[in-house]
Amino acid sequence: MENKYNLKSPAVKRLMKEAAELRDPTEHYHAQPLEDNLFEWHFSVRGPPDSDFDGGVYHGRIVLPPEYPMKPPSIILLTPNGRFEVGKKICLSISGHHPETWQPSWSIRTALIAIIGFMPTKGEGAIGSLDYTPEERKALAKKSQDFCCETCGCSMRSALLTLNPNSHPSAEDHKAKKLAQQINFKAESSLSRQESSRGAESKPSTITEGDTSTSASQEAAAWPQAEVADPTPATGVEGSLPHTAPSTGHPLSPRQRRTQQHNHQARRDSREPTNRPAFALTARPPQDQSYAGSVVLIVVLTLALAALIFRRIYLANEYKFDYEL
Amino acid sequence: MNPAISNLGEIVAFHAYGNCAGLVKLHVLEQTNKPEIFTLTIKAIVPGVNCLAYDEAIIAQQDRIQQEIANSNPLVSDRQDLSVLQREYAEDDTVYQLKIKDLYKKYSYIRKTRPDGNCFYRAFGFAHLESLLDDSKELQKFKAVAAKSKLDLVNEGFTEFTIEDFHNTFMDLIELCEKQPSLQELLSSFNDQNVSDYVVVYLRLLTSGYLQREHSFFQHFIEGGRSVKEFCQQEVEPMSKESDHIHIIALAQALNVSILVEYMDRGEGGTVNHHVFPEGGDPRIFLLYRPGHYDILYK
Repeated sequence: MENKYNLKSPAVKRLMKEAAELRDPTEHYHAQPLEDNLFEWHFSVRGPPDSDFDGGVYHGRIVLPPEYPMKPPSIILLTPNGRFEVGKKICLSISGHHPETWQPSWSIRTALIAIIGFMPTKGEGAIGSLDYTPEERKALAKKSQDFCCETCGCSMRSALLTLNPNSHPSAEDHKAKKLAQQINFKAESSLSRQESSRGAESKPSTITEGDTSTSASQEAAAWPQAEVADPTPATGVEGSLPHTAPSTGHPLSPRQRRTQQHNHQARRDSREPTNRPAFALTARPPQDQSYAGSVVLIVVLTLALAALIFRRIYLANEYKFDYEL
Repeated sequence: MNPAISNLGEIVAFHAYGNCAGLVKLHVLEQTNKPEIFTLTIKAIVPGVNCLAYDEAIIAQQDRIQQEIANSNPLVSDRQDLSVLQREYAEDDTVYQLKIKDLYKKYSYIRKTRPDGNCFYRAFGFAHLESLLDDSKELQKFKAVAAKSKLDLVNEGFTEFTIEDFHNTFMDLIELCEKQPSLQELLSSFNDQNVSDYVVVYLRLLTSGYLQREHSFFQHFIEGGRSVKEFCQQEVEPMSKESDHIHIIALAQALNVSILVEYMDRGEGGTVNHHVFPEGGDPRIFLLYRPGHYDILYK
């Protein structure tokens, strides 16, 4: 690798150094560049003990920009984990809404520790995050051990040093938590994919709390099959809505599905006073939690709005409408 | 209130939960107080849906602006006659024209830096090394301070292998100055983005390190209930974060260099005011501050 790159490039110099620094796996993380590309790394991190991710080992990619370390790395998880979406870039926030920003003195190790520290935090507010139930996350943590990466040939069972009960992970944990507080992750995407489903989740969860706890375990068991058996979720929108949701193939967690359903119920109720049968949305919401959700919401709200304005004009002017119009 | 309307409002609030929550909440609040809600509702939906796209549009625009600035401004310019300042402001802009005249009494030349948020560090770095080109005694003193500074940072908890490259680049430049190069050589080093930015990173680290070492003192000057560490992480170490008094004091003391800043703004009085950091020092570096930007001044 040494002779392939310009050693005078600051990024190459730095990445060589980091590769040497991270050469040996630790109990909590390991990362190395791919054999043929110094600017793409693969990593494995251990789910923090005393969390839903206990026992899980998660694999992912790190893509370094040519300007590294002046620009932040992008991180992509490859193992389903219930906290971060799989296959989607998580990058450090550079948004003006968040004061936290990448610092050139941080490193790939910083990013890994931050990821670990981030896992037990709530996903709300950060796009690209998932809020699966603890049961789902625990099931995924168990499953994660079976993962083998085709690209780097890493098996999760042997990727990290085995956790030694005598060592003190608390210091590491503490560091991770502190870092996670400073750093702000968000997905690099041009659409608010997660927003609608997360928004839907925030309120009705209080209503469904009771049945969540009772049925969650059954559902958690049933869910993996559902994920496989449900590749075409576009059946979600029925009735007269002109837009069918495009599917990205992201299955929703059972809780998300239920809460979305709830939300749609609420929305239907809200339309009732308008007495427009055209809006009878009978079926489940689209399962593409993201983009489709936004589209449906816009359409529904726009139509409801039109109906309200229509009614208002109608009442104000006492027009007689020709319904064939 | 019509229940249909209040429900609509809630959905909007749900949906837009995220980056634009503040914005949306405002609209929803407005909504509840006004009978005419329809147009407001629409307004609230749009930023909610396009939140991220909106964010990214801002970032893209910032990048474009940065690129434009980069194309028209070198990182550190050649030394120019102070009269270039006069031409930057309208002739009937009496506040500035009077102040520029006042500046003329003390200075003759100006060297501009690129307005990219790093201008203070770049101006300081260049001006100081330039002033040391023909003062080898001071240069040696400065070299010793700079050489030791990395150890101080490591002792404070900065990771050695990540700050090493920045420190090395900084030391390389000091060693370049030892060889008494032409001014042009130093200038071209400072206009090499890689070298120049690494120097800026290191000066930011030094500033951060000093602020944290003296946190009990600086804590009183930090607004917004943040700790010194948080302040450093948000306002000092990230690139392109602008500098204020507190940064200047810290860097001046960290490197034991005295800095004079001339403040030129829209304030009344017709004269520019200056401030020396740290107070009572004998400044070797003169910077011109105009709101949001620092350039280098020469007598």
